[in-house]
Amino acid sequence: MRPGIRIAIDKIFTVVAGASVVCLCLVLAGVLGPMLWRGGSAVAFKGTVEFRKMQLVLFGRGDEDKIAAESRQAEIARAKIYSTIEKFKGGIDSEALIDKAKQIYRQFGNDLRQTDRTAEEVAELRSVTRQIRDRLESAFASSNAAEVNESLAYVLNFKDDPRFKNTSAAGLIGLAEQYSKDIHGINLAERQRYYQEIRQVEDILTELLGPAPGTATPALMMNRFGATRWDLAQKLLGQLCWYEEWIKQGPGQPMVKRLTPRSQRFAGTEIEGLFIYIQKNLPEMLKPKPTFYWQYFIDDSTPGHYFGGVGPEILGTLLLTILAMLFVVPFGVISAAYLVECASDNLVIRIIRMSINTLAGVPSIVFGLFGLAFFVLFFLPLFGAPSKGCILAASMTLAVLTLPVMIRASEEAIRAVPQTYKEASLALGASRFRTFVKVTLPAALPGILTGVILSLSRVAGETAPVLFTGAVALGPVPKSIFDPTRTLSYGSYDMAVGDKLAAMVPHNQFGMVVTLVLLILCLNTVAIILRSRMFKKLAGH
Amino acid sequence: MKENIRDKTAQNGETAQCACPIISSKDFNFYYGTTMGVKNITMNINPCSVTAIIGPSGCGKSTFLRSINRMNDLIPGVWTEGKLVVDGQDIYDKRVNLVNLRQQVGMVFQKPNPFPKSIFDNVAYGPRLQGITQRTALDEVIEQSLKASALWEEVKDNLRKSALALSGGQQQRLCIARALATRPRVLLMDEPCSALDPLATGKIEDLINQLKNDYTIVIVTHNMQQAARVSETTAFFCLGELIEYDLTSKIFENPSNKKTEDYITGRFG
Repeated sequence: MRPGIRIAIDKIFTVVAGASVVCLCLVLAGVLGPMLWRGGSAVAFKGTVEFRKMQLVLFGRGDEDKIAAESRQAEIARAKIYSTIEKFKGGIDSEALIDKAKQIYRQFGNDLRQTDRTAEEVAELRSVTRQIRDRLESAFASSNAAEVNESLAYVLNFKDDPRFKNTSAAGLIGLAEQYSKDIHGINLAERQRYYQEIRQVEDILTELLGPAPGTATPALMMNRFGATRWDLAQKLLGQLCWYEEWIKQGPGQPMVKRLTPRSQRFAGTEIEGLFIYIQKNLPEMLKPKPTFYWQYFIDDSTPGHYFGGVGPEILGTLLLTILAMLFVVPFGVISAAYLVECASDNLVIRIIRMSINTLAGVPSIVFGLFGLAFFVLFFLPLFGAPSKGCILAASMTLAVLTLPVMIRASEEAIRAVPQTYKEASLALGASRFRTFVKVTLPAALPGILTGVILSLSRVAGETAPVLFTGAVALGPVPKSIFDPTRTLSYGSYDMAVGDKLAAMVPHNQFGMVVTLVLLILCLNTVAIILRSRMFKKLAGH
Repeated sequence: MKENIRDKTAQNGETAQCACPIISSKDFNFYYGTTMGVKNITMNINPCSVTAIIGPSGCGKSTFLRSINRMNDLIPGVWTEGKLVVDGQDIYDKRVNLVNLRQQVGMVFQKPNPFPKSIFDNVAYGPRLQGITQRTALDEVIEQSLKASALWEEVKDNLRKSALALSGGQQQRLCIARALATRPRVLLMDEPCSALDPLATGKIEDLINQLKNDYTIVIVTHNMQQAARVSETTAFFCLGELIEYDLTSKIFENPSNKKTEDYITGRFG
């Protein structure tokens, strides 16, 4: 080959190699960048006043007086929403109105019994009130404007009737008056639809602003606060302002989503203008502030990760990883020592070696099922422990999963120790065991640590092996190794597979993944520093 | 040949063989599986002397040397015949305690092989095996050993330094100190200077001259000048056999075997 061609090929090779490295970096940046960005939003985001309230209630953080003042201001801005809705509902919530009318009638009946009227008078009053009540009820229930007006007019005839002056029955007439005012400008035919849709609006408002003032504290923690994050608030605002419908196109065809402004749905009512008001004044109602929520890494979370952080997940992952390492390192090193120092090269040993290599390639879900069958169902009951998924079983499963990696790495490391070290030790009268412990093992430690690093990353990130053996999505912080635990890997898996709540807190999902990556990075850094120290010590610096 | 040596013993009291040898082999055969390593070695080595073993590559010098403290046991499938007695004990006897034997018979290897530990820990390795853990006792042994190997002055101020930071010659002297720290009676040296420069070699040779007052030294070497310089008796091995074993001066000036003469004069090997 001519030198020119050879140089050209060399150059082409260099360029291709360089380009592939650049490509790899770009892909990595493309994958990690957005993930880090979105995961970072779990920690750094715009927190609303609801966030600060939640932190105060759940974790006791923040200045109580300041937050109270802030939420008072927010409530002033919100008050208009609630009063408008209340008023609107007054006209359309026929069931509530009918209930009220019935109640007043009953009250009036009780009152009559205690007065000193004659029996005839009482009977007459009763029948009149009963009529008033019936007409009112029909007015409330009817969607025909003429009918309603007629009924209301009948009731209002009794407005100046002296018999009802200062009695509870006057309440019935009051109801009629209020109702005639409330239904002014409302298309009664649409009342049913209004009623349903205003309930929807109220639900979204509860999610956005928290429970309406005056209502009972919700049982579920996640319903007790409004949108804690400004991005979530924006999303809910979109839901609030746009009415979503699914339209059937025809048999066999997919449904089509249609969005209409909700203000159109309430055209002509007071509610129509409410949406613009909310859009304009949302910052006053929620008071977003840049927040750095570093406690994300230590906080417990409410069920479904709606509020709070990933503290228990980090704890669980660390526990599992460290326990698994405690199992796998001794076993791996001892097995490797046997394979290198003691085993002769015969058929059995060859089969063992082949099995180890095969195990390294077995899918992790297989290990998960093995863990369930062996550790959870067989091994734990053997020692009297309850037969349920727990940290112990999960970490042992993970240890089995990563054992081949550990054995291979340790084997290489032990084999790489110079024979001269062993000879020197043996020539000084040390036994083979002593030589291994005192000379070979220390010299092989950096290589063994490489195995630890490889295993560590694998163990911390695995989901399938812990799926059946000790991971849960919800649950308390474990008190012992016989309790199941939450883990970062299983948590992100669980949030990824169709939890409706998870869709409301996507930052959490990314936050967990990024936390996992960071955690593995930290663990590896520790191991790498340790290894380089050992290398230096071995090299004599 | 055996007769030859025995004759000399009869003739001259100052010859290689003496009445109470510390190492004595009789018809010693060594096999690697089916291959013979050395055969029919019969020789006695005096206490407190330096014996050089010379010979061409692959002639069994190192095999014989390593048989003396049974380092060959590490190789799978080796076996022996005949007798090899060290300090009155047949070392291929089943009851022999390998640990004791190797503490009695120290060894220095071709390449300096200090452990990747501190100088102190290197020398203390042997004594610690013997159960000496007291700091004062250890300090004493280490100082003695390092002084005996002429390394003390160079390292006494930084015993905590890694042994690998020393130069090659220093490392080899450290290995000698490490071997001496178990207080052996015999010191086997397997081409101890082959990886060293002439200056370091000179130091090791001086050291051997000092050590022979207290230790029996058996040294394998390819360097015939070295054998001539440091040893009192010399054994010439060829193809696994002991060709000639006599006083060094005799071997180098007036060898009785033709092969020895050829080898020494450089016509062969």
